[in-house]
Amino acid sequence: MNHNPKIIGASIPRLDGKDKVTGRALYTDDLKFPGMLYGALHRSRLPHARIKKVDTSAAKKIKGVKDVVTGADTPQIKYGNWRLVPGSQDELPLAVDKVRFIGDEIAAVCAVDRETAIKAAEAIEVEYEELPAIYSVEEATAEGAPLLHDESPGNVSLTREISYGDLEGLLAQADYVREDFFKVHAVSHAYLEPCSSIAVPEEGGRVTLYTSTQTPYIVQCLLASTLDIPENHVRVVKTQVGGGFGGKMEMRPWEFAAAFMALRTGRPVKFTLTRSDELAFGRRRHPMSIRSKVGFTKDGKLLAKDFEVMLDGGAYNAMGPTATFLCGTFGNMLYNFQAYRYRGRHVYTNKPPASAMRGFGAPQAAFAQESQMNMAAEELGIDPIDLRLINAMETGDVIPDVATISSCGFKESLEKVRQVSGWDAKRKEKKPGVGLGIGCFSFISGGVFNWFNTKYNFAAAEVTVYPDGTAQLNTMACDIGQGPDTVLRQILAAELGIGIEKIRLVSMDTALTPKADLGTWGSRVTLMNGNAIIDAAKKIKDMLKPVLFDHLDLNQIHEIAFEDDRVLVKANPKKSMSFGECVYHALRGRRGEPLTARGYYTPRDKGLVSPAFSFGAQVAEVAVDQDTGLVTVTNTYTAHDCGVAINKMAVEGQLEGAIQMGLGYTLSEAFVMEQGRTLNTSFLDYKMPAAEDMPPSTYVEVETYEPEGPFGAKEAGEGLAIPTAPAIADAVYQATGFRALELPITPEKVLKGIGRLK
Amino acid sequence: MPNMPRFNFHRPGTMEEALDLVSRFRASVKVMCGGTDLVPKMRAGVAVAENVVSLTRVPGLSTISYRDDDGLVIGGTARISDVARHPDVRRHYPALAYACDKMATVQIRNMGTVAGNLANAAPSADTAAPLLAYGASLVLVERGGRRQVPLEDFFTGPGLTVAEPMEIIEAIRVPAPPLRSGSAYLRVSARSKVDIAAVGVAAALNLDLEGRVIGVRIALAAVGPTPLRARQAEDMLMEQIPDHDLLARAGAACVRTAKPIDDVRASANFRRAMVQTLAQRVLARCGRLARGEDAQ
Ligand SMILES: Cc1cc2nc3c(=O)[nH]c(=O)nc-3n(C[C@H](O)[C@H](O)[C@H](O)COP(=O)(O)OP(=O)(O)OC[C@H]3O[C@@H](n4cnc5c(N)ncnc54)[C@H](O)[C@@H]3O)c2cc1C
Repeated sequence: MNHNPKIIGASIPRLDGKDKVTGRALYTDDLKFPGMLYGALHRSRLPHARIKKVDTSAAKKIKGVKDVVTGADTPQIKYGNWRLVPGSQDELPLAVDKVRFIGDEIAAVCAVDRETAIKAAEAIEVEYEELPAIYSVEEATAEGAPLLHDESPGNVSLTREISYGDLEGLLAQADYVREDFFKVHAVSHAYLEPCSSIAVPEEGGRVTLYTSTQTPYIVQCLLASTLDIPENHVRVVKTQVGGGFGGKMEMRPWEFAAAFMALRTGRPVKFTLTRSDELAFGRRRHPMSIRSKVGFTKDGKLLAKDFEVMLDGGAYNAMGPTATFLCGTFGNMLYNFQAYRYRGRHVYTNKPPASAMRGFGAPQAAFAQESQMNMAAEELGIDPIDLRLINAMETGDVIPDVATISSCGFKESLEKVRQVSGWDAKRKEKKPGVGLGIGCFSFISGGVFNWFNTKYNFAAAEVTVYPDGTAQLNTMACDIGQGPDTVLRQILAAELGIGIEKIRLVSMDTALTPKADLGTWGSRVTLMNGNAIIDAAKKIKDMLKPVLFDHLDLNQIHEIAFEDDRVLVKANPKKSMSFGECVYHALRGRRGEPLTARGYYTPRDKGLVSPAFSFGAQVAEVAVDQDTGLVTVTNTYTAHDCGVAINKMAVEGQLEGAIQMGLGYTLSEAFVMEQGRTLNTSFLDYKMPAAEDMPPSTYVEVETYEPEGPFGAKEAGEGLAIPTAPAIADAVYQATGFRALELPITPEKVLKGIGRLK
Repeated sequence: MPNMPRFNFHRPGTMEEALDLVSRFRASVKVMCGGTDLVPKMRAGVAVAENVVSLTRVPGLSTISYRDDDGLVIGGTARISDVARHPDVRRHYPALAYACDKMATVQIRNMGTVAGNLANAAPSADTAAPLLAYGASLVLVERGGRRQVPLEDFFTGPGLTVAEPMEIIEAIRVPAPPLRSGSAYLRVSARSKVDIAAVGVAAALNLDLEGRVIGVRIALAAVGPTPLRARQAEDMLMEQIPDHDLLARAGAACVRTAKPIDDVRASANFRRAMVQTLAQRVLARCGRLARGEDAQ
């Protein structure tokens, strides 16, 4: 492929890195506007109750308070991200009739300073009629359980079923069948930047929202609909965002409250959450109860799988329906088998809503699937890597009802991780307290499913080139810390053959950048926006090529190349001119019309799930202290097929971050809750691993070329968040004989598991 | 984050001035060293004071000194990281060195002090258990007076001590270790690094020429309202050869002393098991050090 190795596949440090580490980068909370007011929320103190009365009179009397609003003051339009399925929209920005979790937003205030706003929010009195509350999917789906939403009998808001092949027949025919039950818990996204939003009122009843989000276009649409104003009256601008991991991909009540009160008061209104707000009330990863039944032949061929999942969604749908949908797809993405049945149910409980979180259902599904593969391997007497090789997907394989896999380096990943981890030798020498385990993954490179129902393409880019040899890229792609501001410029630089420093980037302003972009989630940005940019750049090149033909009087058989800031004749590189000169001549011929092109990408004819799939395998090595139950991950080895890595450093960064999250998910992070109340609301007691906890990590690339991806690339963001939990769990089993079927694997569970603690 | 409530901040340049200030404002004053406990608590509204008196500019208060006849003196503003790297601390007080190496984070250790750690009186305070095991005492000064309080009489409950608001910890005095002695501290928590201990056990042990215990102190952290001395276990060890069986029984005696609760960090049950495990490990290491064996 003709891509420039100085740019594609290079390790280019983040172009925004210096500003971030020196503190110059501006995040939403850094911004101030003249006359700006500060907002605060009044949240429910009960897990489940009918609101009888909200008394704001005391709050309104406090000096410095400029506005107090309750649900009754608002248009009361429900929202949710599944606009194609209106019935799934179950949330109001401010509660009206009922509250469903401790923290549910009831009222909002704004005042001249933060202290006054907090005081006023606390002065709001709510009269409740308390209702019985439920905290687990088992309770919620039991006969006679109290209902959270009248429209959802049995507290199930959505069911997804997949079914193909002769499941019963194949299970009956299988030599070896096993059924296991797994439970995984909720964890926090724990992004470094707590949510923050500022709404600035504009003339004509319009409003601009600066906000910490990963889906500005979706926020624009939902803010307009909940405010009941035209979409074009809302402008959403993304500032620097300190991480999202799925926790910032919906419109949120403070975004609504800021805009609503800004329009009422005519003054800018800012809301900034605290870490304890985030931990006590924030979105989180879905806890799941999983049943999985699999049948194998005696030589290890997986025949059929029956997979049943209950997602603990908390009080509202949030992104839960998508997670319910995807979980079923993650259950059959990695291995090839003939019969599959999936039943996923999204269940309401009186807890803060769970939502999208890095992996979007995959880490949970994979903990069950990969643990079960390891258990089956042991009983079948087959090495776990061999068992996977027998069943692994390959390029050209079909995921039934989903897609044909256009590139797959799974088998190669398995072979490579086996080699670098020293698997064969280490698994043979059994040392007590020391173990080696494996987990594998595959993930989508962006979603084709589009319940948001946009009228626009999934990704768009606008490129303008100038006679000084520079270019401008306007894109709605959303860098929330993962790096597309750099990677997308690499893609444009490589396609136009100019230096990356020549490109000015204007990103994510719904009023200025081309419509549309569905945001940063589903590991979609590099593939989808990269393709849109290439499309735009190709159009630009088509406008520039005639200049060379004209100036050099070229024969039509020639091809033109763009390299090193020059435009040249491929067969005779001496015949060339500088990129800027070429733009100059092209512009001359356009009578004042700028050289601008738009490019788009929407995955077409790619099934319902994703245009491309990443694959990989990870081995974790642990040491377990059998007296304290403490698990130390001493090493990790990862082989990863992300297609062509556009920026190697960025991919390694994703891996480091994923291992940190995986460690926390597997070993230490959990919400300690009592009657719907979260008790550990600071990082002192919410045990996120720290830098010092990071194990050494070995990384091997498995490069495939993804035909659907820009320069052969596919996702490298979320897939890596999947394998760590099952790999560590398997390693703990090898070290101790304790097989964890529930997360997290705390020292207490280990000690109980090995019979050292009652 | 709620904004910091308003207060007057004083940075006296002498001890006299500091003592005058705390005495004058005794109705609403807090002494501050590193501020790593105080500032977050004030932000959260848990600690309230109209006046904060920082000691960091008081000259001579950060000194750490050791003499064979007099033992260790840790000044009231000596930082945790300075204590951790002090050669005499490393040589003679390995339990304290270990606590100061492992607690908190680099940034906190570079700001926080041992005096602050003790005055803050968290049941999980990492320097408390080792210092209890060493039989340390505190020199408390106020305008016109000075008294020495044994550390074991200092704590009265979570966040509570016998110190008066106008008293300042001037120094921590730790006796010199006797011959044939060893000491150790171990802690466990859910996060392997950078964490508040869920359980900590420290001990200092002193043997005679026959290898019999002639002196021992064991202290338990995070398993009661204050750091605790495990006297029953100590009595059991006195005059005995500390073999494996005895250490196991001493560990069990420590468990009987512990008064752990279930909280967000660990269950009481787990804490009891950890007291047993850590006590055995700590005592075994003390024995090896006291016998001059190579203790890893
Ligand atoms: C992220 C983080 C991690 C932490 N991890 C740990 C840990 O692992 N283990 C642990 O034990 N602690 C930990 N701490 C708590 C804290 O850092 C320590 O207790 C530290 O030693 C406090 O010292 P300081 O000088 O900062 O105290 P300050 O905050 O200055 O003071 C603490 C208290 O002591 C009083 N005080 C301070 N100095 C004196 C004095 N000379 N005389 C009289 N009273 C005084 C103050 O009035 C205040 O009430 C952690 C804190 C943070 C923020």
